[in-house]
Order: sequence, then C-alpha cells, then structure tokens
Amino acid sequence: MRIASRALAALLLAGTAYLPAQAQPAAEPTAADLVAKNLAARGGSAALAALKSVSLDGKLVFPGGFELTYNEVRSGGAVRVDAALQGLALVQAYDGKGGGWRINPFEGRKDAEPMSDDEARSFADAAPIAGVLLSASSDGSSISYLGREDFDGTNCYKLKVAQKDGDEFVYLIDPDSMLEVKITETRKLRGAVQVSESELGDYEAVGGVMFPMSIESGPQGSSQRQRVIIAKASANPDAPATLFSQPK
Amino acid sequence: MIRTALLAATALTFAMPAIAADTAATPASAGISGLGIRNIGSAAMSGRIAALAARVEDDGKVTIFVGAASGGVWKSDDGGTSFTPKFDKQPVQSIGAVALDPTNKQTVWVGTGEAWTRNSVSVGNGIYKSTDGGDNWTLMGLPNVERITKIVVHPTNGNIVYACAPGALWSDSPDRGLYKTSDGGKTWTQILKGPNLSTGCSGISLDPSNPDRLIAGLWDFRRKGWTFRSGGEGPDAPSGSAMAISEDGGKTWKMLDATTSKGLPKGPWGRIEVVHAPSMPNRVYAVIEHAKTALYVSEDGGKSWEARDSSRNMVWRPFYFQKLVVDPTNADRVFKMNLRVIVSDNAGKSFSDTAGGSHADWHDVWVNPKNPKHLIGADDGGMWISYDGGSKWWHSRNLPISQFYHVAIDDKDPYQVYGGLQDNSSWVGDSEYPGGITNHRWENLYGGDGFWVLPDPASPDHVYAEYQGGNIAWINRKTLEQKAIQPKAGYKEKLRFNWNTPMALSPHDKSVLYLGSQYLHRTRDHGNTWERISPDLSTNNPAKQQQEKSGGITVDNSSAEMHTTIYSISESPKAAGTIWVGTDDGNVQVTTNGGGAWTNVTKALKLGADNWVSWVEASQHDANTAYVAVDRHVFGDMAPHIFVTRDGGKSFARIAGPTTAGIRGYAHVIKEDRVDRNILYAGTEFGMFISRNGGANWEEFRPGNFPAVAVRDIAQSKKGDDLVLATHGRGIWVIDDVSPLRELTPTVVASNVTLVASAPVEQRIQGNGGWSEGDANFVGDNPADGAVITYYQKARHVIGRMKMEIIGPDGQLVEELPTSKRKGLNRVVWSMRTKPPLVPPAASLAGNSVVGQRVLPGQYKVRLTKAGEVTEVPLTLAIDPRASFTADDRKAQYASAERVKALFQRMTGLTFGLVALARDANTAANDAKATPAAKKAAQELALKAADLRKQVVATTEGGAITGEERLRENMDMAYGQIISTEGRPPAYAVARVDALEKELKEVEDAFAALKATKAAALNSELTRAGITPISLAAVQVDMVPTGGQMTALGRGLVGARYFGDFRSLAFPRKKR
Repeated sequence: MRIASRALAALLLAGTAYLPAQAQPAAEPTAADLVAKNLAARGGSAALAALKSVSLDGKLVFPGGFELTYNEVRSGGAVRVDAALQGLALVQAYDGKGGGWRINPFEGRKDAEPMSDDEARSFADAAPIAGVLLSASSDGSSISYLGREDFDGTNCYKLKVAQKDGDEFVYLIDPDSMLEVKITETRKLRGAVQVSESELGDYEAVGGVMFPMSIESGPQGSSQRQRVIIAKASANPDAPATLFSQPK
Repeated sequence: MIRTALLAATALTFAMPAIAADTAATPASAGISGLGIRNIGSAAMSGRIAALAARVEDDGKVTIFVGAASGGVWKSDDGGTSFTPKFDKQPVQSIGAVALDPTNKQTVWVGTGEAWTRNSVSVGNGIYKSTDGGDNWTLMGLPNVERITKIVVHPTNGNIVYACAPGALWSDSPDRGLYKTSDGGKTWTQILKGPNLSTGCSGISLDPSNPDRLIAGLWDFRRKGWTFRSGGEGPDAPSGSAMAISEDGGKTWKMLDATTSKGLPKGPWGRIEVVHAPSMPNRVYAVIEHAKTALYVSEDGGKSWEARDSSRNMVWRPFYFQKLVVDPTNADRVFKMNLRVIVSDNAGKSFSDTAGGSHADWHDVWVNPKNPKHLIGADDGGMWISYDGGSKWWHSRNLPISQFYHVAIDDKDPYQVYGGLQDNSSWVGDSEYPGGITNHRWENLYGGDGFWVLPDPASPDHVYAEYQGGNIAWINRKTLEQKAIQPKAGYKEKLRFNWNTPMALSPHDKSVLYLGSQYLHRTRDHGNTWERISPDLSTNNPAKQQQEKSGGITVDNSSAEMHTTIYSISESPKAAGTIWVGTDDGNVQVTTNGGGAWTNVTKALKLGADNWVSWVEASQHDANTAYVAVDRHVFGDMAPHIFVTRDGGKSFARIAGPTTAGIRGYAHVIKEDRVDRNILYAGTEFGMFISRNGGANWEEFRPGNFPAVAVRDIAQSKKGDDLVLATHGRGIWVIDDVSPLRELTPTVVASNVTLVASAPVEQRIQGNGGWSEGDANFVGDNPADGAVITYYQKARHVIGRMKMEIIGPDGQLVEELPTSKRKGLNRVVWSMRTKPPLVPPAASLAGNSVVGQRVLPGQYKVRLTKAGEVTEVPLTLAIDPRASFTADDRKAQYASAERVKALFQRMTGLTFGLVALARDANTAANDAKATPAAKKAAQELALKAADLRKQVVATTEGGAITGEERLRENMDMAYGQIISTEGRPPAYAVARVDALEKELKEVEDAFAALKATKAAALNSELTRAGITPISLAAVQVDMVPTGGQMTALGRGLVGARYFGDFRSLAFPRKKR
C-alpha cells in the first residue's frame, strides 16, 4: 500500500511538473524530457531499482473470448510466460543470456524447443522490468521525439526507440499521465518486417512501479486484437534462474 | 533562349518551412470514430495506380512503393506478396509520384495529386518526405501545386530534389512548373515555368552522366466540366507546351523546338514526356503530342532528334497515358504506357504489345535492374508483375484501392453490396461471410466503367447496372443475361447522358426506376418502355455541348465530358411524386406531381454561376425537406457546399461551406439518418463527416484504419443500421450499427462514462467458410462475431481498473470482458458463449471442448464499473430469425451441453483423484520406512491408479494424431456433435452421452473400490510402518475453464511476441 501510494504521488508530481502541451505550444519537449517524465510517472528510478522481479497473473484473451490463463515473470533480464489451455501450458521464455525456448504442448509434445535467434531476440524485449523505453538509455538504443500524434482523440507525445539490432519501438505517451498508451513495434523476423501494435491501459502500481494491467495487441492493420488482462501482480516474487533456463 | 533565361531569373523562391504532416492532418475525431469501420474491399478489381517505385535490396528482396490514384501509398517489403498502407494519416490520398532516394534507403518522396488527369481525378496538397522508409511523413511544401507527376532525386546528393508539377487542373495558377530543392525540401525554388497560367511541368529527366544536365517538358493543359484541352484549344491553337534543357542544374534553360533542335516537330505541342536511357546517357526519348504525335529519339543528349514510332498506342489519350520507361540495362528497350503497354527493342523504331492479360490503361512500369525480365506494372486494374519480360502478368489481389462511384444494398440477410467502379465494371459482394470476405465473394455483373448498380426490388433475381454514358442494362443475376434498356433519342434529337448517369428507384412503387439524361425518364416495366416525365431540366447551354471538340490537340470525346445533364435524382419517401433533380450545370428542379410540372428552385440556393449539383436528397422524414450538395471543384473551389430546404425549395439554408468547421473537401453525397433526422452523413473528397444536429456542427469520422479518402456514396441498412460507404480509392467500408450516434445527447457527451443500450442482439448462425488464401490476397473483415456493447467515455482511460460484466437473467455473473480505453465511443464484443467445459488434462487438447455453447436467448444486463462509478444497461439476446430451430430446441441443446460439462467436471475430479493417488502411492513406495509389503502394495496401487487414468484420458505423447480415444476423447467428440448446432441434438447424440456416462460411472466405481480396498489396505500397512497414510479424500481441482470461440485464431490473428505459436490451436478439429 505504501509503495503504491509512492507511485501515485510520483505520478501526480509528474502531472504538475509538466503542463499539457496545449498550455505551452511553443515549447516542444525533448526526448530526454519525455523519458524523464515517463520515468517519474512509472514510479521513479528508486522504485524501479528496488523491483528485482515481478509476476503478473491473469488471462490472455483472443477475439471471440478465447481465453488462456496467463502468468508472466520477469527477473534479471529474463522473462517467462506460461499460457495454459485445458491444463496444458504453452511456455515461452528468454533466459537473459541470449537464449529463448518454448514448450508447445497442445499437440502432444511437452519437450522444450529452442527459439530461433530472431524469436529469442524478440522475446528478450519483453524481459526488462522497466520496459524497452526506460531501458533504452542503458542498452545503447537511441531515442528520438517525433512530435505529437492524435491517438483516438488524445494528442499524445510520440517517441521512437531504435535498438542497435535495428528493431524499433514507437511509443505514444498520454500527455496527462505521461504513461505510454500505445507501442508500435517494428522488427525483422527471418528477414521480413513485422509490425505489431499494443495499446496499454488500466495502470496500477506494483512495488511502486506503474504497470499496465490491460494490454491489447495485434498485427498492424488488423482490427482484431489479443488482450492480456492482469488480475494479480506481485512485486519481487521468488524467481530462480531455473525458471528461465531451458529444461533439459 | 532569352525568354527562358528570364524565366529562370525571375524564378520564385519559396522559403517553405517543413510542416509536420501529423499536425497538418485533421486529428481523428475523438467521439464518434470509436464506432469503428471495416473494409470489405474488394481487391478483385483493385483500382488505378498512378505511380510505382521499387528497389532491389541487398538480400535480394524487392521493396515496392505503390502510389494509388486515390488510395494513398502502399509498401511491400516482400516483392508484392503483401502490402501495407503507409499514407493513411495524411489529409489527401491522391498520389502522382513516388521516388526513392538513391543515396539513402530510408528516404522516400511522395508527390500528391495524380497527374493522369481524367475527369474524376482527385487532388493533392504538396510534396511529402519520409525519412524512415514510409512510416512517418512530413509535408515539405508546394501546397498549392495540386498535382505532381514526377520527382527526381539527385543520384549522389539526396538534398537535391526536383518536383515536376503540372499544377492545378481546374483553374489558372502561377504555382505550376518545375521545382528544385537543394536542402532536402526545406526550401523550394520554381526553376522553370510556362508562359501562361495553364502551363506546368509534364516531365523531367536528369542525364545519368551529368545530373546537372536536365531536360524538362512543359504542358499546357486545362479541364472544365464539359471539355478539356491538351495543348491549345485545337491542333493549331497556341499552346504553352514546350521542352527545355539546362546544363546548370536548372539555373538557365534553353528551349528545344523545331528552330533550335534538328528533327523536332513544329508546334503547337501538347503533353511532353522525356527520359534519358540510364545505360546510354546520350540517348533521350521524348513523346511529343502535336498534330502528328510521335516518339522522338536523340542520340546526342537532346541536340538533335529523330521521329520514330507513331502507332496508336503511342499517340492515344496523352492526358491519361504518356509515361516512358527505359530498361536500365538496355538502352534500346523502352516501354510506353497507353491503353496497352507497348515495348520497343529497337530504340523506338517499332513497338509491340506487351500487356498480356492485364487490365488496360497503363500508367507506369518498373524494370528490375538486376533482372530486367522482372517487371512491375500499374494500370487502371491495379498492380501487375511479370517474370518473363512482359509476356504474362500476375495480378496483385492484395491492393483494395478500388474506386467506387456508388453503392446500394439489398434487403437480404445478410445484405449484399452493389456498386460500380472507375474503369472496373459493376460488382456485387457480400457484407459478411464465414471466414471473411475474400476477393472471391465479389461477382462482376457488367462491364466498362461502372456507376449506379441497383438491385431490382420488383424482380429479386435482377439488377440494374450501367456503363458510361447511361448505357443501362437489366441483368439476370442467375444467368448474367444482359438486356440493354437505355432510352433512345427521337428524330434529330440527342439525349445527353452523363458519364455517371443517375438512376433512382421509387420508394413508393417497386416497379418504378428513374433515369436521367437532360430529361427525366421513368420505366414501370424494367425498361421495356420508358416515358419522359420532364422537359430538359438542364440549362441546355450550347457552349457546354461541344464535346466533339474536346481534347485540344488530340481529340477525345469519350462521354466523360458530356454535360448539361441530370446528375442526381431523389424521390421523397414521404410524398409519392415529389421528385428532386440536380444537374451538372447547376440546376435544382422539383416536381410534386410525378413530373406533371417542374419548378426550378436554383435561385433559392443563392449561389453564383458555375455550380455542379452533385447530390439531391429528399428527406426521409418530411416531404418539404431536401438536401442539396454542390460540387464546385471543376471551377477550382475545393470546399464543401451543402444546403437544406424545409419548405419544398422556396428557400435554402447553407449547412456546410468553405468556412464551416469540422468538414472539408468538395461534397459528393449528403444523407439523413433513417431514424434521427438531425443526424446527417456527408461524403466529400476528403472523407466522411457526420453532423448530429442537422448540420449546425460537423465532426470527421476517421477511425485509425480509415484514410481521408473520397466518400462518393452512402447506403444505410434498415436492419442493423449499418452505414455502407462507397469510397473512390479504398473500396467499400461498413460502419456496423450507427444507432449509438442517436444516443449521444449533450448529457451523455458530458458524462464520464455512459453505456449505450442496443437493439436486441441476434445470435447469428455461425457457418464455416473460406479457406487458406495465402498472404497475397485481400480478405475483408466480417462484422463482430458476438454482441457489440457500446459505451462513451469523456477521456481516455489510463489509470486504474475498468470492468465490464455480463449479468445473466438469473442475476448471476456470466462473463467479465476486457474493456476498450479510448476517448469517446468505445465498443466491446461479447461472444455470447458460456465458459468451455473443464476437461481433464491429457496428452493433447480436446479440440471440441475448447469452446462453450452459446448462452440462451433472454434478458441480460451489461454492467460497467469505472473509478467506482457503476452503470448498467439491459441487453436482449434473440435467436437468429433465419434459424430453423425453436426456442425449446435451443434449450434442449443448451441442457445437453451443460450435461456434458457436468460429466467433464466429474471426469476431471476423477482424473485429479487418480493422479493424486498414484503420486501419493509412489511417494509411499519410495519412503525409506516402507516395509516390503507396504512398498509392494503402494507400487501396485500406483499402477492400478495409472491404469484407471488411462481408461479416462489419452496419455500417449509424441504428437496430436495418436488416434488414442479414451473416455475424455470420446466425450469430446460427443460434445462436439452437440454444439455443432444450436438446435436440438439428435437422439443418438444424447444416447451417446448416456453410454459415456455409464462408462464414466464404471471407472468412478472402480476408483471408489480401489480406494476402499487396496488403498485402505495400503494405509493400514503404512500406519503400521509409521508412515502417514495417503489421503483418500476428494482432490480439489485447481483448474479454471479455458478456451472460447476461436475464429480469430483461425485467421492467424496473434499479437506481439506470440506470432505463430497459437495458430496450431485454430483447427484441432479439422486435423482429425
């Protein structure tokens, strides 16, 4: 409770420190300004640093209401997601050391299989607890401010993160909360460009850090979306390295 | 020489600061756009492409940019297998040129405003630049040139760019000519212009060996609504067209003409296209329109020329086809666009047809420099790919850039959609179809250019369709028999039918069809007989009836310029015989007695001269109310002009004009909502606009997937209140159920959050259709597959939980749904299904049991909780009226499915118990304190439990297709049969469940006996050995039901970081 209050306080502080753009049209912010505001809105660097692991439990819902149970654990640059149907869990994980693996049990096999390098690289971007945007300054990615963009009636700030491997993330930042509300992810898989979009909402504090409890995503251009709805989030749960290592 | 030097010296320099395209674009509407919209295509016919650009990447893939005539920019990263629209956020969709920067692969230039200037061409608003491969665009200036035909980027300095602008089509303008930037587009200089205000740039080419040496074409061209000219007013009339060469990057120019360059023809000239051969810089090709249009070739960089081919496809319709493309690897091989694309292999001495089985009306070709047999072409039918140098062509069926003029729908359930397209005939397609609306779900009905297509309400097997010039036919949809029924002229008479001849059905008499020439015609018998029910309703101005002289140097009288004609017809649904007519020359006329007498009410509009009445619309609610849209773009005025009369035409009030906020672009159509007279729908050249207060205020309807494309016509379904839009450039779009617009009262709009009650929702029959189309075919979206719940919220929801619940008729929670977060209207879809069965885990999925049966029809409630605020609305579910089963049948099916779920529940408990028993027995057997007898008993018990489990579930791993059928798998199949229909299950299906229940009971009994005998005995042994006995209590099941309707999975719909992994879920049943 105390931690949650701290995050909200940081959020309110961000809101007062940064007036909406309509109030100061002449002063366009820099990318660094916006990242700092976003960091404050997320809960601040101290809260992020104190968060060593996070667990998110809920459901993964495809259009039509097709649901799987969902558990995501991030820790130490690694991530594991279990999505279960009829008690069979599809597992996808990045071990934090360059390797990704999965178990797809739906058709009769429960052996762990290594991901392709591109897939592992893609899944690795789900690992940082802070997320890609707030990790960008430390991993060598470049961040640029692209101006404002209307997002369904909200005049958002637009930031682009260009990673060293060529993948790009374009963020739309809600000007009131300074939290990210949309991510457009452009990456190459097997040499082919794939673009996906995610819309984020229902933010709540987890260990003092704001996380979206609702994420809907899908290929760009499609009107259909899958949704991750988090019902319960835990700060600093036990997350041993074996959780992320490919089973032998 | 002196004149051109002066031109250069007086060249205007425009210091044009870069304008952020995102801010220039009108923001998407905050409120109403949340209704959403879906595109149903089609890409079967596709549409006109004005320009292409492509590049072979280092990895061998080909990147393609397509500039659609009125459908934006599309990019393919895979050689054309798939395309993504890249220009949808911009305020215009008409593209004239696309250029790739040879010095930077991320930089793309787009010139807006098509330059193949047919009567229906759209307009642009300047030149755009992307520095990230087309994802984001910045408007870099030239806002007044209206159209750009070519952009050339300097081969070694990407900051130097030339833009060739023919300029405004319908008006004089000084802002036309050749422009140059040397600072990447920050500033532009007009480096070449014509001698008059109607002459712009038609072509520009840089010498590959010296990019400061330029040759440019100037083109004197003008259109009016009733004529056009390329060059002067005739073959011998003065013209500003010219060709010029510069040796200093455009600072000074020398004219190239018959007096300065040997071999060039005498003027006057018309359109000029000029291009260097990339592999032989001294060779220059030019098509020069003049009295004897021909291809001219220079072998000395433009100093002297020789006339070569002048065949039909070299000279025909230069306003529409003129582009030359030289093979980059072979200077002798040159393509010329025309009705057919033609090619020469002897440097233009002769040409042959190379269009193969393509559509017609070619505009561009790209030749792969690494493999010149690989060609990409653009014509009025879309994009084409050849791998054999142009002998045979693939049609790209993934570009839904179709250019509809009109749309109509029938009263079928689901309704079908009818419409005619620019150069692409008349079609009918589905508004929904299982598996999606593929290109195959569209059927061609007629030919030529298509316009109005109306299903005949008096003969459901027939439609009325037409091609240009009022060539109407009555067509049997079953046999496709066509009966030409155009009314004919009398003695020494000419009937003037517009290119886009209006037809209208009577809302009072199914047999009546109206058709407009300069007269209004009426048939009551499908065109067997016609009667004229009006005098000439146009101005009958002879000055606007000189189409035989149209074309300028090259006469062109195709009926596209036919004028002084009726253009729009509407009979009042409230008063039979009250018919409104609008003409292309500005008249609005009305009769109240079926044509017995007509009143010209044009003056009441209080407009000046020069108007084109694009739409008249009688009110659906009041006999004295009608709407008039006036289109003045053919006089250079791009603003909307919309009026309403509420006194039968005695007076009109303007409801949209040049300064009206919230609406922009010349107006094509105005319609009333069928229920709420205050809701108006307007389609303009730049999109869809809606007023909720009778025209006092307008709001752009612009969901994120919908571009600022021309909306030419609108139809509204009586059932479901769908709005169907005919766009001229992006096909047909459907806004499903617009009725929530009627609920947006000021109170609702001011509220934090409000649920909108819906009409009763039908549980639609769900079929299985479509098949694997591959990735290279467009598939249109279906309506939402479930109950659509609409709500409004004042601001985007970012922080804290927002919850939507469905409450059943018994007051119990049925479902909790994810919510949408946007500002304004939001929509959420509920599948109307129960939770799937809770099936015991096994080696693989029980494929049928991943989905629950539908809930029963009845009275439900929707509850929305946001920031502690709770709102509810009722939700009524009803059976599909097409269903062949009764409500009692539904109940029987529901009960059977629930019975199977209960059996699955028992089976899951049984399985968990068996697994726990085997696990605990094994643990006991491995306990160090276990006696040999206890160990043996424990091992036997574990094996017995495992054996029993094998009777319940399949346990063989290694693949999905083991064929292992146990109780669970058999029950899954029984369940699949029950939920395959919503009707009453057959008796044998129920009997099968009876049998399986008996089998389940036998295993349960065996398990109970096992616990009572061997497990109890083991526990005695364990107790004696000092080991804790194993638990024989019922095991708690810690699973929840998972699964659901999987139609979206079937289409490979998966999001970020899950791509591919869930696809295998889609067809588990089909694999068996």
